[in-house]
Amino acid sequence: MEEEALNPQRNTRTIGEINEKIRKGDAQVLSAEEMKRLVESSGVEVAFKEVDVVTTGTFGAMCSSGAIINLGHSDPPIKIDNAWINNVPICHPGAAVDLYIGATAMSEKQPFEYGGGHLIEDLVNGEEVDLKAVAYGTDCYPRTQLSTRLTKNELNQFYLLNFRNCYQRYNCAVNSRDETIYTYMGKLLPRMKNGTFSGAGELNPLMNDPDYETIGMGTRIFLGGAQGYVIGEGTQHEAQSQNGTLMVRGDAKKMNTEFLRGAAYTRYGTTLYVGLGIPIPILNQGLVRKTAIRDEEIFTNVVDYGVPRRDRPKLAKVSYKELKSGSVTVGQQKIRVSSLSSLKTARKVASTLKTWIDNGEFFLSAPVERLPLDTVFKPMKQVEATAFVANVMQKAVTCKETEAVSDIAKRIVTKSVNHIVMIDDAGKLAGIVTSWDITRALAEEKTALADIVTRHVFTAKPDEPLETASKRMAQHHISALAVINSEKKVLGIVTAEDVSKLLGR
Amino acid sequence: MARVLLKFSERTVEQPIISKIIIDLKVPINLITAHVDSKGGEVLAEVPDESLDAVLKAFRKKGVTVSLPKLIEVDMEKCLSCGSCIALCPVEAITPSGDLSIVFSKEKCLGSTCSACVDACPARAIKSVKQNNSDVSAKSKN
Repeated sequence: MEEEALNPQRNTRTIGEINEKIRKGDAQVLSAEEMKRLVESSGVEVAFKEVDVVTTGTFGAMCSSGAIINLGHSDPPIKIDNAWINNVPICHPGAAVDLYIGATAMSEKQPFEYGGGHLIEDLVNGEEVDLKAVAYGTDCYPRTQLSTRLTKNELNQFYLLNFRNCYQRYNCAVNSRDETIYTYMGKLLPRMKNGTFSGAGELNPLMNDPDYETIGMGTRIFLGGAQGYVIGEGTQHEAQSQNGTLMVRGDAKKMNTEFLRGAAYTRYGTTLYVGLGIPIPILNQGLVRKTAIRDEEIFTNVVDYGVPRRDRPKLAKVSYKELKSGSVTVGQQKIRVSSLSSLKTARKVASTLKTWIDNGEFFLSAPVERLPLDTVFKPMKQVEATAFVANVMQKAVTCKETEAVSDIAKRIVTKSVNHIVMIDDAGKLAGIVTSWDITRALAEEKTALADIVTRHVFTAKPDEPLETASKRMAQHHISALAVINSEKKVLGIVTAEDVSKLLGR
Repeated sequence: MARVLLKFSERTVEQPIISKIIIDLKVPINLITAHVDSKGGEVLAEVPDESLDAVLKAFRKKGVTVSLPKLIEVDMEKCLSCGSCIALCPVEAITPSGDLSIVFSKEKCLGSTCSACVDACPARAIKSVKQNNSDVSAKSKN
């Protein structure tokens, strides 16, 4: 305070000073959205003078979440080998009665509908859960079977311990395939008829302090409706590509299911929606500028999840402003997009955190170590070669629409194949004829190819893993896929026979 | 308006039944979705409440199975307000409100004939439920 009196033109403030103001009820706190409006209307200098803290928030599916629980010892004691709570298999990474509930672990009775995320929500809600455990039995832990019921009150510790939360930004997902796919980015309709995205954009905690000037190990945060802490960078953290992540911990007994919800993604699995907010102390004018970031300045890629590869094609670059408007444009195509995370609850996180600080219930903490800026997210080292469609595809025997059924029949015999691919004059895929179609033509006395050809052809791309192509054949009960490039030009054919030859080797 | 689901068999699909009923009863019937081929299929249609009884009778007389489509119901207690459902809706029956809550329009919704949003809801807050039969017949008497 003395220093401030000596130099009224000071252009920095400290976390200690801000906490003193919070204690006195004098701290000026704005949500990130309010801060952006203030900087826009009054400028950086005024905003620096007027604002001490900016609150941020996000609420989305965060699969790398879970809870560590300690049960206390039974009598006689047990060193748990395998455990299930509400039929959800629980990890037992440590000593006798420490367990970890993973958000994506699924109930063995209701897989894809109930999982670790739901179990954590139920426990937070105070509900009683069923625990079953088995063990091999030792001299010190003789018990081999255990069955009990408990609530969070009976647990010694119940801590949310999430190893990757709060992605700074995320992809917008679309699907170029001819079939609907169900992914961790939700339901994606064929031919890019919809898109999904995640993240709060300008409200995201890390986006408001992208150089992690104030965020790191020991930063006190809003986590699931209670106070929690950043305990370091999250797994896969990569600052340079604006893909920062957090590892966090908080007392789940104090949390609130408004900000912590189990969720189920059809044909993907279960997860946990986590509400997370970080207060950004406005220590200097640089942080004013950083917290003034707008959705139109935050970009992400539209990524084709129809390609089942690690490096999925990036089709376009879009801003969070476009994403939040409800549609994006990729090439000539306007795609309706919707969010998987909730902006409504993200705002509630930021406003709740603001209220806590206003009420003097939450104080800021300086990190003991800032999040790293230099870590890189490396791909997996693999020692086995993966087979791709290109490895087994064969040259396609082709025909034109104007040919007679009898000519096709002859070609099937001379080339000894079961599938003839119909192409147009440009070599593009137009249909497929099988030996079965020829048999049917004979039975129904049809002679024109146009009357028997199948025009909706299931296809594969040459760089697609063989496994997914094989799955597609099984799914549609067919025995071959035409292999095409992005212009629909026929490159070859892959048959179930070729696949089984390779996989059976 | 009441929504009815008309089921056509391989035999009935060959005849211009809908057009005939529109002409005979002078009722404006609005076709919302139609999935039909030579083997039959389903048509979702909207019929004015006051002529519902007469229209149902006429369709049944011609061998068309008439039923009420299931409705989509949303449990707002469970809803996470994420919006995963919004872009999947083909008729824009799901929209975000001013405070970003999710708003469902029962008038626009195609019901169980569509259901595109049901399996996309991570909170499992969307369900298709049987339409209350008495509701529709009661309305038609007004």
